[in-house]
Amino acid sequence: MAKSIVMESADLNTTQFIATCPACGLLCDDVLIENRLNTLTVKAKGCAKSVAFFEQAQSQNEVSAKIAGKPATLQAAILKAVQILKLSQTPLFSGLGTDVLGFRALFNLAQKTNATLQHMNATSLQRNMRVLQSAGWQTTTLTEVKNRADVIVCIGTDVVSHNPRFFERFVWVQNAMFCDAHAREIIYIGSQDLEVSAGVSPTGKTAQHIVCNTEQLPEITTVLRALVFGKTVKAAQVAGVAMADLQAVADKLKQAKYAVFTWVAKDLDFPHAELTIQNITETVAILNDTTRAAGLPLGGSDGDTSANYTNTWLSGLALNDNPIEHDAVLWVNSFSPTKMPPPLSKPNDKKPTIALGHANSQFETEPDVFIPIATPGLDCSGTLFRVDSTVALPLKKLRGCKHPTLNEIVQQIEAHLS
Amino acid sequence: MITLLKNGKLYDPTHQKNGVIEDLYLFQGHIIPKPIDPSKITQTFDLTGKVVMAGAIDMHSHIGGGKVNIARMMLPEFQETRGYSEPEAHICTPNCSHNATPSTTDTGFRYIEMGYTAAFEPAMMPINARQAHLEMGDTPMIDKGGYAMLGNDDYFLRLLSGKADQKTINDYVAWTLHATQAIGIKVVNPGGISAFKFNQRRLDLDENNVHYQVTPREILKSLSTAVNQLGIAKPLHVHCNNLGAAGNFETTLNTMHASDGVPMHLTHIQFHSYGTEGDKKFSSAAAVIAEALNKNKHITADVGQILFGQTVTTSGDSMMQHLNAKHANPKKSVIMDIECDAGCGVVPFKYRDQNYVNALQWAIGLELFLSVEDPWRIFLTTDHPNGAPFTSYPHLIRLLMDKTFRNEAFAKLNLDAQAMSNLSSLGREYSLYEIAIMTRAGAAKLIGLNDCGHLGVGAQADITVYTDQPDREAMFAKPDFVFKNGELVVKDGKVVKVVWGVTHTAKPAFDIGIEKNLGEYFDQYHTIQLDNFKINDDEISEGGRGKVVTHTNKS
Repeated sequence: MAKSIVMESADLNTTQFIATCPACGLLCDDVLIENRLNTLTVKAKGCAKSVAFFEQAQSQNEVSAKIAGKPATLQAAILKAVQILKLSQTPLFSGLGTDVLGFRALFNLAQKTNATLQHMNATSLQRNMRVLQSAGWQTTTLTEVKNRADVIVCIGTDVVSHNPRFFERFVWVQNAMFCDAHAREIIYIGSQDLEVSAGVSPTGKTAQHIVCNTEQLPEITTVLRALVFGKTVKAAQVAGVAMADLQAVADKLKQAKYAVFTWVAKDLDFPHAELTIQNITETVAILNDTTRAAGLPLGGSDGDTSANYTNTWLSGLALNDNPIEHDAVLWVNSFSPTKMPPPLSKPNDKKPTIALGHANSQFETEPDVFIPIATPGLDCSGTLFRVDSTVALPLKKLRGCKHPTLNEIVQQIEAHLS
Repeated sequence: MITLLKNGKLYDPTHQKNGVIEDLYLFQGHIIPKPIDPSKITQTFDLTGKVVMAGAIDMHSHIGGGKVNIARMMLPEFQETRGYSEPEAHICTPNCSHNATPSTTDTGFRYIEMGYTAAFEPAMMPINARQAHLEMGDTPMIDKGGYAMLGNDDYFLRLLSGKADQKTINDYVAWTLHATQAIGIKVVNPGGISAFKFNQRRLDLDENNVHYQVTPREILKSLSTAVNQLGIAKPLHVHCNNLGAAGNFETTLNTMHASDGVPMHLTHIQFHSYGTEGDKKFSSAAAVIAEALNKNKHITADVGQILFGQTVTTSGDSMMQHLNAKHANPKKSVIMDIECDAGCGVVPFKYRDQNYVNALQWAIGLELFLSVEDPWRIFLTTDHPNGAPFTSYPHLIRLLMDKTFRNEAFAKLNLDAQAMSNLSSLGREYSLYEIAIMTRAGAAKLIGLNDCGHLGVGAQADITVYTDQPDREAMFAKPDFVFKNGELVVKDGKVVKVVWGVTHTAKPAFDIGIEKNLGEYFDQYHTIQLDNFKINDDEISEGGRGKVVTHTNKS
């Protein structure tokens, strides 16, 4: 169990913890959790995602490993997995929903089995990586935003659909070191469907919302970049937005002391979204010639940031989304019982599949091998990176669990491979 | 049980041994006296004619943490340079990936293959220390450690501008060493990284940070005093203001006096030794800097030599790196403001021998090496990867030891740069003994690693054995043997056994009462819990590979 127990109540069956939540990229580490008879309840500082994560049911009975959908011993399942990996020439390790230590174990196994690694969020991760690798960027982190940002522009996202506590924890705070937090200007640029209520200040000031379709963001961001650069745009409107409105935004950005532009790569789901992201990051770069501004890529889930970082220091290269020829799949998902391997592209395309997954996983097509594993931050300890990079936080074991960790399973597989 | 290294020629400056022929006995990871019972010697290496030194120690090399990983992530093209064939490939060791952004495994292997047995990450941002230790934990073969960055963090600047007493500063500095598992304290562009967040673009030694109304000089005084009074061995590690700017030598000279005689280490001093003479308003100030170093015995420095070729500069100095970004090659860069703690700037560079500034930078570094008299106070670094990848050390050693080789290289440089350098008039050639001081004994003494960097009884048995060759580059690129903790790990320049080194730390005593104020600060302004900021020993020893070694304060 985690070391920092907040209090053991008179009721000996109840323990409280301040826990770190891996349910989204913010990794809120102030969540008060109560464990009563191995059932967890979020008592304070929760959000919809953390409640769903911490309060998820744990079956009373041990979930057994399965071979072709039928219960099997752990040992038999491991041997079957080893057999699949031995027969495979080019396995694909996908999903990769795990923490730093779990990823490191998978990386080593991949080295031994000639496997390629690809995270379930590869497509959205790669949108940001393309920008980083072609032009770089100028970014900031959450504590700077909390204390410094006077204008926050959310492009193509409401943030809260991915990171529910963003505004509560980093925007509408009581005290910021270098600005009046409650006077912050929030600007949304994006679809009518964005949930913009979180952008209303504690004093009741509503956010500005420049409405456009998500697919029109390339145009809007291109023009905004030009206006910030000081170019004259002759058109009266772009993508249905009056030029005067965009000019007003550009002026506000130039006057800001520390404007922050945020986006969530998953929400920019259209072809060549990296060019839109680059419009944002280049707008930041222009502003930084005269004042201060910064980008803030948000979102993050299922250990994607951690997998990408760890892969980068272990191999020298970031993860990518290249299509991968493979003849077997090892699917890893320790955080979510619902995220599953992608459906088969063709009915007869079935490859031998090993799933090392959340104990509550329900498969449409049973994998050849299923081994239930512990969830970091719930059933075992771990380490994850926050979405803004730089900050890595420890995860705690909060409840008893009979399932092995990913690390333990991978070690057993490796032992049989050699 | 006991390994005998027989008849080697020992270069051990700690014990004033300059090519003395002696036997060494290794047992349980350490050097022991000659055993009474010779039957316990189970393994003997005949080192007749071989050069024997302690394992080398890189006291300043960016081997782990956010900046390095951003560089890897941004520059996938660097990974394709294996088997490099461009002219600059001459700086490669036999197995070199010639890569400024090696993976952690590559880092450990390339170091040990050159006979280096320890390397220190010099810019560990406290908030990013966990990542730095994760990366160093995945770096095999060598010992590691880090210097924690302070002096641009808002907590410290609030203390200083609020006129906190020195004891409070000392407690915070000591707390940081504990929390981040560091062995030293570094300050980067004192006050400047913070100033950049308030839109200041340059900060001179006596100029105020606009928000805090404190100067870099006050920051240096406060931090150097804290480090000195806490009694840790490693002096404050200082990356001066005005990195890379023409005319910055004056800042560097003045910085030497900012601590009022308390020891300070000025890092990558080559990047801070620039004058403004000549048509191009960029000149060498190496002579005046070297003279000041010779005079000011409380100052140590490492050079941060540049060598020609492709590399990437990774620095905490977001202010100056934002200015440098216009010179990026390839044209991309990352600039970050980070967590009210510090910042970073990652800018790829290609140093060219026909470029006036680059050629002169190369000469300035060598002028410094050759003009600073005391090898105990100057250290061999390229500020990896900023001046060049660490794999170019053997080449650099040859430049220092071989006047003819150096002058031939100089003669190929940009002609205007040649005209502005006195390098060819400097006839000095470093001896093996002096190289052993710079890369072993001196580095160990500076950091406070009492059991490393020497070959005395009780020393950690990290030992490198070379064949004495006139081509010093070939000699230092490929040792015959490297022993790590008494085990043979490299033979003929190739790793034969994978081992994992320890993490060196210093943990001076402090008043835990500092956590009350820190806790309030964290609750109000930070975005993580104070407890999660601190790194436990268990996190480093996890998996049984790593281990924390805590060094006692200097005597």
